[in-house]
Formats: sequence, structure tokens, C-alpha cells
Amino acid sequence: MSTLTAVIALLFFPSGLVILLAGMAYEWADRKLVARFQNRIGPRWFQPLADNLKLLAKEEVVPEGVQRGLFITLPVIALSGALTSVLYVPVFGLAPAYSFSGDLIVAIYLLSLLTLCTGLAGANTLNRFSLVGATRTLTQMFSYEAPFLLALLGPALAAGSWRISTIADYGAENLLILTQPIGFVVAMIGLMGKLELPPFDAPEAETEIVAGALTEYSGRGLALFHLGKGVELIVGLTLIAAFYLGGVANPLAFFLKTLGLLVVLAGLQSLLARLRIDQTVGLWWRYGAILGLVQFLVLIAWEGLVA
Amino acid sequence: MATEKFVIPIGPQHPALKEPGHFQFDVDGEVVKGASVRLGYVHRGIEKGAETRNYVQAAYLVERICGICSHVHATAFCLGVEKLAGVEAPPRAQAIRQIVAELERIHSHLLWVGVAAHEAGFDTLFMYSWRDRETVMNLLEGITGNRVNYSANVLGGVKVDIGPEQIEAILAGLAFLEERTQHYLEVVSTDAMFLRRTRGIGVMTREDAERLGVVGPTARASGVPRDVRVDSPYLLYREHSVELVVEEAGDLEARFKVRVRELFESYRVIRELLAELPEGELTTRVPRRIKPAETVSRVEAPRGELFYFIKSNGSDTAERVKVRTPTLPNMASVVVTAVGHQLADVPMILTGIDPCFSCNDRMTVIRRDGERQAWTWEQLRQYGIEWYR
Repeated sequence: MSTLTAVIALLFFPSGLVILLAGMAYEWADRKLVARFQNRIGPRWFQPLADNLKLLAKEEVVPEGVQRGLFITLPVIALSGALTSVLYVPVFGLAPAYSFSGDLIVAIYLLSLLTLCTGLAGANTLNRFSLVGATRTLTQMFSYEAPFLLALLGPALAAGSWRISTIADYGAENLLILTQPIGFVVAMIGLMGKLELPPFDAPEAETEIVAGALTEYSGRGLALFHLGKGVELIVGLTLIAAFYLGGVANPLAFFLKTLGLLVVLAGLQSLLARLRIDQTVGLWWRYGAILGLVQFLVLIAWEGLVA
Repeated sequence: MATEKFVIPIGPQHPALKEPGHFQFDVDGEVVKGASVRLGYVHRGIEKGAETRNYVQAAYLVERICGICSHVHATAFCLGVEKLAGVEAPPRAQAIRQIVAELERIHSHLLWVGVAAHEAGFDTLFMYSWRDRETVMNLLEGITGNRVNYSANVLGGVKVDIGPEQIEAILAGLAFLEERTQHYLEVVSTDAMFLRRTRGIGVMTREDAERLGVVGPTARASGVPRDVRVDSPYLLYREHSVELVVEEAGDLEARFKVRVRELFESYRVIRELLAELPEGELTTRVPRRIKPAETVSRVEAPRGELFYFIKSNGSDTAERVKVRTPTLPNMASVVVTAVGHQLADVPMILTGIDPCFSCNDRMTVIRRDGERQAWTWEQLRQYGIEWYR
């Protein structure tokens, strides 16, 4: 019986099919919002679904000079990493499907898997745009990952637990955006870096390196990467909403809070010009990491003084 | 140790390019160490074509050299032919030519602001400036009936008149655009994130600009006071002159500022002309055949100096039409300024000169034995067919 529930949890709900559809819905909302901010019409509601269905139905062209096995498995690993991370996160305002002490670290690691796979996928091909894109993807990962982690560890420290559900419960009682505002800002911007949204879209800057690391991908592989990104968007928004915005105790709170965050993300995306990769790294290590550390030290000092 | 160069090819087909051209950038990591350019992918043989058509037909043809600054090409050609024929267009026609030319400059500069912002990944500015550009496109359509190849010019004058209703529409459109332009000037000179991508990037010193012979806004952004409208006024630019807009910095920010500030000059000149639109005829008679002579005609296109050399031979067809578009002198500056910059800055540096590839593409045949050769239109056409087979 427990095997059956596990399969259902992984393949249908909360992970699997439902989160894939939700990811596409959020992607649509993001695209539509940015389009409206930019005075465009934007895509129709089923556009991401149509795109992915079309891509999935297409032949996947394996270019010459790549390690064939890697080329095919990397998108699968990326998507399954993102889908697995959903199991430990309170998506849709429900309790996480699985929970153990330390699952926060596992979830964050699983989320990074997507970026890592993108970088490897780019490095695997001979395409020059892909190689530059892969370098940029991995460089960017090394710059935002530490501050982002610090920003999520702040609430963990306050709650005194590494378990996502415990932190979420603590976050539901205390509005952490008020006590840890720096952490919230760093987490939001870290999420933008993770998702390679403008202004952190240097790794896939079309006017320089076409599609970056994924230039050689077409068909199924590309669709899987896209789907993984949609899932990552939801997981990231859920974590931030649950930790900083007073928790996502019920579906209504979940949708209101995550969509509210998405509006902020879309606004930032349309307001800012793309940063160069050296500027991204500089920004993160000069400001992001320092701010995250300051927040962290303040917390530790506070805990030490109060306790 | 691998000593091979890592070359990033941009073009002939690349998302950064709206027209085909081929650039090779040797990069070390993200830093550009060397650059080379190869053009000629969209050579259309228009100069040759103009020599096989009579003057009226050629005016129609040269207007199609550029899709953005079509009016200045026709103006330069008509001015040249009129000079050869010894006639001058009536004042009202000259005023209308100048109004359309300045409206065209507005449309071209707004288009450029959008494209350059897009290259920097600032799509919001791109969308907004192109939305506002629709206003001036509609004005041009209202005057001439066309949005792209306005076809306002005819040898000896213009085809279209500007009536009181159109004057009203133009003034209303200009008022809206002026307000928006003020906003864009603020954005390109104060937006901190955008300035990170433009300030100090692609710097071309005044010495470099003069050595490379760059023209137009690119030169003016490097402090070179060079503008055909001021240096050798044509049409009514003597009576209704524009002020030179010069920036000293020579970087991308200066190029943005020069082009946006020039818009204000255009608005002012158009208003002046509309207020004092001369009365009179729209056209004057131009003889069909023109006695043998040669002339040079220069106008200021939105991108810089546009140069026409026309040689007549007594028939109704030009013996030689030679066009030098502003992109040709400006293109070399890209290769020089890009070196030492980040790869991410290259698309912006390239767009900074506002390149127009098909306008400037030309064909060179090198014969090493020193033999001279003139190709006929038919041979050239056949060569093109063979080449692209």
C-alpha cells in the first residue's frame, strides 16, 4: 500500500503530472504578466502546454560529437530532480508528502541539480554558444547558490530545525519577512538567478550566445528542461512563501502568496536590463553574500542573547 | 597547452543580427581578443540596376536601398539629378522633403533605441519605444500613404502635399512623442542597471573616430562635429537649421544620448517648417534627357552622411550611380572598439553604430593580372544566380 501511495505521490500528486501542469500555468502567468508590463498582449493560456506538447512530439536530434548517453539522460535527471524536490515541499498548501529531518538541504540540492544538468548538457556538446553558455550557467550557479542557501537557512535557524515542515509551521506563526527582511530579498533575487530570469539571463542571452547551454537541444530534451524550470519556479516560490510570508497553510493562502510573489518577480524582470556575467558574480559576492551573512550573524547573535 | 583561438561566430544567421553579416570574435574566456567582419551576404546590385533604368525608374529603385531610411536615398538621388539637369525643386516641395526626412529620422532613431535596448536585454524599453514609434509611422502614412517606402519624392519635387488637417495631426503626434522622448532621455541617462551596460563601454576616442572616418551620430557621440545638415546645408536646412548634438564621451551611453537628443532637434525643425510652410507648386519640370556631366550629392541620413555620385551621358539613363551609405565607414569602428570588451558587450557595440547591412553591401571582383572589366547587368544577375545555386 505504501508503495502505491509513493508511486501516486511521485507520478500524479503532489509531484508528477499535477505539478507539471501547475508549472506550466505559472510559466504562463509569468509570461503574461511580463508581456502586460511591456505593453504586449502576451501568450494565450495554453501556450506553454502547446509548446511542450509540440516539443515532446518532435524528433530529438542528437548532434555529432556529443556523448550520446549523457545527452539523452541529462534532461531526464534534471526533471526528476525537480520533481523529487516537490515531495518535501508544502505545495498547494498541503503538508509535504514526505518529511524527515534535514530535508531542506536535500530539496535545495535537488533544485540545483537542474542547473548542474543544464551546465553539463552545454559542456557536453561541441557548439561554441553552448560551451560559453555552460560556463556562464555554472559561474552563475556558484555565485547565487551560497547566498540563496544562507537566505533559506535564516528561517531554519530561527525555527531551530532543518525540516521544511517544521520551519513552515514556525513561519506560519511568525511573519519572518518582518524579522528577516534582508533574507527575503536575497532569497527572491536568488530565485531569479536560479531560474535565469532577467536580469540574470546572461547564460541564455539570445543576442550573444543564441540559447546558451541548451542551444543544441531540440524536441524532448528541451521540453524536459523547460518543464523542470516550471517545477523549480513553483518549488522556489513555495519555499519563500512558506518561510517568509507567514506560511502556506491552505490552498487559498498558497495561491495568493505564490502568485503575489510571481507579480513581484515579473515586475523585476521587466524593470531591469540584463547584467553581464561578471557583473552578476560581482553583485552576488559583493552584496548578496555579504547581506546574507549579515542577516545570518544578526540571527545568531539574537539567538545567543535571547537564549 | 591549446593555443588555438576560440572563435565565436556571429552570423550570417544569428539572433543578434536582423540582417546577415558575418563577424568572428576570438575570445579568451569572456574577453574579446580580436574581431573580423565579412559583409556581402545581401548584395543586390542596385547601383548596376540604376544604370540600366531611366532616371524616373532609378529614383524608385534607390528608394529601396534601405527599408528604414528610404526617403533620404530618394532625396539624395533627386537632388543630384536636379543639379545635373539644372533645375531646383520649388520651396514648398523642399520643405515637404525636409519634413518627411526629419519624421523618418525620428522613426529611425526610435527604432534604434529599441533595438539597442534589446541587445542589452532590456526588452521593456524596446517594446515601449517601438510602440511610440508607431505614432510617427502613422504620421508618415498619413502624409504619403506608405509606412516604409514613402515614395514622397519625384524628380523635380514631391508627390504629396501637406494640408491643414495633416499639420494638426503631425503637431499632436509630435507633442506626444516629445513627452515620451523626454522620458527615454531620462531612462538612458539615469537608469542605474542600464548604465552598467552602456557607460564606458565601446569607447571610441575623438582621434579614433576621425582616423576611422566614422559619420553620423556615431561620430557625434565621440565629439566630432560632423553633420551634413550643418556643414553643407541642402533643402531648407539653411533657413531652418538644426543644432549639432555632440557628446564627448564616445561610449554607448553617449551614442544613446546623441540619438535621443537629436529627436528634440527634429521635433523643433518640423514645427518650424510647418509654421512657415512656403506656398507654391509641388513640382517643377525636369528634362527627360540630361547632358553629360557628373555631380555629387550629400545628405544626412539618420545613420550619417549619405553620398551619391551620379554621372549622366546625355541619355535618359545615368552612366554611373555610386552610393556610399553611412554604415560603410562606420563598420570598421566595430572591429576596433570591440577588442578588449566582454563578449556580452559585443552585440551592443555592433548595434551602437546602427548598422544597415543590405544598404552597404557591395561586391568586389579582384583580378590579379591587372585587367579591367565592366560587367553588364545581365552578367551580374547571372553571377548572382550561379553563386546562390
